[in-house]
Order: sequence, then structure tokens, then C-alpha cells
Amino acid sequence: MTIRTRLTLWYTAIFSASLIIIGFAMYSDLVVEQRDKAMRYHGTGVDEDAGEDITQIILIYGGTAVVIGLLGGWWLTRRALAPVAKLTETVEKISEKNLAQKIPRSHNGDELDRLTEVFNAMTGRLDESFTRIREFTLHASHELKTPLTVLRGETETALRDNTTTPAERERANSQLEELTRLTRIVDGLTLLAKADAGQVALNLETVRLDELVRDCFADLQILAEPKSIRVELESCEDISLRGDRHRLRQLLLNLADNAVKYNQPQGRVTMSLRRLNHFAELKITNTGAGIAPEVLPRVFDRFFRGDVAHGNTVEGCGLGLSIAQWIVSAHGGKIQIASEPSKLTIVTVQLPTA
Amino acid sequence: MRVLVVEDEKKTASFVRKALQAESFAVDVCHNGDDALAAAGVTPFDAIVLDIMLPGRDGISVLKQLRGRKNSTPVLLLSARGEVNERVEGLNAGADDYLPKPFELSELVARVRALTRRGTDNKSTTLRVADLTLDTLTHKAQRGNTSIELTAREYRLLEFLMRSTGRLCGRMMILEKVWDYNFDPGTNLVDVYIRRLREKIDAGFELKLLHTVRGEGYVLKEAP
Repeated sequence: MTIRTRLTLWYTAIFSASLIIIGFAMYSDLVVEQRDKAMRYHGTGVDEDAGEDITQIILIYGGTAVVIGLLGGWWLTRRALAPVAKLTETVEKISEKNLAQKIPRSHNGDELDRLTEVFNAMTGRLDESFTRIREFTLHASHELKTPLTVLRGETETALRDNTTTPAERERANSQLEELTRLTRIVDGLTLLAKADAGQVALNLETVRLDELVRDCFADLQILAEPKSIRVELESCEDISLRGDRHRLRQLLLNLADNAVKYNQPQGRVTMSLRRLNHFAELKITNTGAGIAPEVLPRVFDRFFRGDVAHGNTVEGCGLGLSIAQWIVSAHGGKIQIASEPSKLTIVTVQLPTA
Repeated sequence: MRVLVVEDEKKTASFVRKALQAESFAVDVCHNGDDALAAAGVTPFDAIVLDIMLPGRDGISVLKQLRGRKNSTPVLLLSARGEVNERVEGLNAGADDYLPKPFELSELVARVRALTRRGTDNKSTTLRVADLTLDTLTHKAQRGNTSIELTAREYRLLEFLMRSTGRLCGRMMILEKVWDYNFDPGTNLVDVYIRRLREKIDAGFELKLLHTVRGEGYVLKEAP
């Protein structure tokens, strides 16, 4: 039972009861007075219908009182609790993205105003912590770049040196591979930290999505060849939209690359681009091992690696899908993954065309 | 060829200098923007490698000053922030190229080389390396008397390599120019395409034209 219902019922009960009591008291006064008058002038007894009249009057006036009480109570509590409803609505919309947004206060000093104030203070503190974490990630990834540049440069310099022995060369090459991986992770982290802080502006222009998909499909064919994976472009409708060409290319290649990486040899990958009302719908399917239902909701998490027990040997920086998700949402779209383990995994991207 | 390297981080400046010197560039190094402007005012450089984050006057401001003085020396910007907006801002301010940190040394050298050769690019419609020819109008390739079928992407790759004949081309540079990617896709796309292209233009021929420089990139040239 909500506070409003409870208050309405209590109010109605008290209001009606008091009206009935007052009405009854007034009526009995009236009856007694009339009887006295009648006795004085006519000498006759009490009206025999009086008992019935009382019940009728109580029913009519009492009923009216109950209805008025109910309506009044409903109106009054609604009015009193409206700020609570508004507060709930606003608080519901709060996520880590809009913590800085304050709930408007009434400044009338009542309990609800006080509650709003406390809420605002709390989200303010949360916002501060979130900002601090984001800034930390951003600074950390920036700070890592200089030493990485130096390490990379010096390793490469060693490789170029003619006096370097083959054993040293091999070591340097292996280090270089790890440095490349580290660089990708740092780049990915920087991008996501910036995106979180709303610091990445999309370079919007009119983009022929079908052309990007065809380009990406050409790359997909090449990537799929070594694993003898069959690839198919099921459909590719002409679709233009406002978007960031480079980011969309990045998104497509990322998804295509995943479809190959997580596939099994002789598997299949299909791509399709279709118009769907005001959306462009891109589907990429693969016939890999798939994703277990319990880990499916976490695949977009940063550094989420899936089932470790599965002997996951796939290379990657662990940020690919997080970046893909960011690119899609930055374009106002949605990305979903559905998977039936060891059958079919379907990635669906919907991007608004208007 | 004389190159000015403007970089406040001493170690980075040092290996960049070494790498460029190894490619027989004469290299001057400055550690801040004001020194760089002074040096560029006195010496005519063939290219400037300019870090954006410098103590005091930053790279973008140095670049604007240079261009304001009608100095058109090719400039390669380096940046640790590496975001698209910064690339656009840099190119708008008059930079000729942009490389995010951490970069591959070979990538940097290749780009400096490309900058110093700018303007001497082969503008003719038929590109030729040894007995390999590429018609940029009809997109037809031929090695000796054998004509070669190329996909659109293979054509773009071959055209880029032939226009940079004899120069080392780094993976990022190829991705940027041929694929229009300005991010590292984390795949071996370039290597796979090079392999396919090599099968088409080099397989069965005594003289190999497309060479791999391990860990650095690719080069198309006549001499082995």
C-alpha cells in the first residue's frame, strides 16, 4: 500500500467519522427540540417515524461525507505527495552519466525539500568520485604514453643496430610485440576514459554506410581466408546517415574481426545491412563456440575476457567490444549480442538514419 | 637533408635523432618551442618533427608562428594525446602530417622521408618499377607481358607503394593512406594484403620487387 492510499484512507475515515458524529449530535438536538415544542403545543408523543428518518439521514449525509472525504483526501494527499513523485522520477533517471544534474528544490523548508537537498549532496559526492576515477584513468593512460614511446623507440633502435646479436634481436622483437599490445590497451583506455568524460567529439558528416560495409566485407574475406571461413554478404541496402566515418569503419572492422577470431576453422560469417524504418540494421553472425548465457550480459564490460576455463587463446586488448558499444551509442544507436552456444552468435547494430 | 627535432623528453629526442641520423639526415634537436622558432628562423630545414606538448610555448603555437612567418617547411606533429580533434587542429594549423605517441620509429622515419620528398612525387599516369607497370587511369597492372588482375583495395595498395618506390612504408601509414583508417585496427590486414599482392606481382619472377623490412614495414624497389 502506497503512502498516498494509506493517508487517503485514514483521512477519509477520520473526516467521515467526525462529520457523522457532528451530524448525529445536531440531529438529535433538533429532534429533542422539536419533541419538546410538540409536547408544549399539542401534547402529542414523539413522531414514530423519527427512528427511520435518523437512519436515512445518516445514510445520505454520511455517504456524502464519505465521498467528499474520499475525494478531498485523494486530492490533498496527491498534492502533498506530488514532490515525492517528482523526486522519484528524477532519481530514477540518475545514472553515472548525469550525476552532475541536480534535482530542483522547492526551498520551502519542508521535509521533502530537506530530502531533496540530501539527495543532491549525495549525487554531488558520487559525481566527484566518478570524475576523480575518470580523470585518474585519463591521466594514467596519458602518463603511460611517454615511457611507452621511449621503450618502443629504444627497442627499435636496438633492432636497427648492426652489432645486436641474434639472441638479443629475438628478445627485442618479443618485447616489441608486447609493447604493441600495451600500446593498444593504453590507446583503448584513453579513448574510453575520454568518451566517459564526454571529451570525444564525433566528426559528423554524411556517410554511405553501405560503402563502408562493402569495404569492411572485402577486409573480412581476407581475414577469413587463413581459417578457411566462408563469408557471405547477405544484403547491403543503400543507406546514408550522419556519422563519423573513421569511427564507423573502426566499429565494422572490430565486429568483423571478432567474428573471424572467435570462429572455428571452416566456420561461417555472414553480414547484412538492411533498412528498418528509421534505422539501419547491421547484422554479423558467426558460427564460433558462442557465448554462454551467464556471461552474455558482461561481454561489453571493459577487459572482460569471457570463459577463462574455455582456454581462451584469442588475442586482443580486451576493450574492442567496449569501444564498439561506445561508437554505437555515440551515434544514438543500439548494439546487441545474441548467442546460442556452439551454433550461432549474432551481433545486431541499429543506427538511426534520420 | 636537415631535420629539426623539437621534443622536450630527452630520451625520445635522442632515439629519434639516432634513427634519423642512421637514415643519413643531419639532425638538430631543440627542447622547447622558443629555441625551435629561433633555430627555424636561422637554418632552412627540410623538415621539422614537432612535439605538441612542450614546456612554455606548445607545438601548435610554434607551428602557427612558423606559418605566420611564411615558413613552409614540412612539419610532422607528434602528440601523446592522439585524438582526432588534435589531428584536425594540427593539420588546420598548417602541419603536413601527424603521428600519435607511442609511434613506431620506422613509421616516423618513413613519414619524415615522405615529407622531404614531397613535391617530387611521380605525377604521371603510368607508374613503373622495373618491368612492373600500373596505369592509374585504367587501373591495369602488368608485369613483363603478363597482365595482373587486382581488386580495388589491392590496386590502391599497389599504387601507394609504387608512388613511394624505394621508401619504407610503415603499417600505420599504409592503413591511413590505403584503408582510410586513422586508428590501429589490431589486425594483420596489411600483412595479409601484402602477401596476396606479392603472389600476384612477384611469384614466378626472378627479380622480387616487394620487400618486407621485419618489424618495420614494406618497401617496393628494384634493387634487392
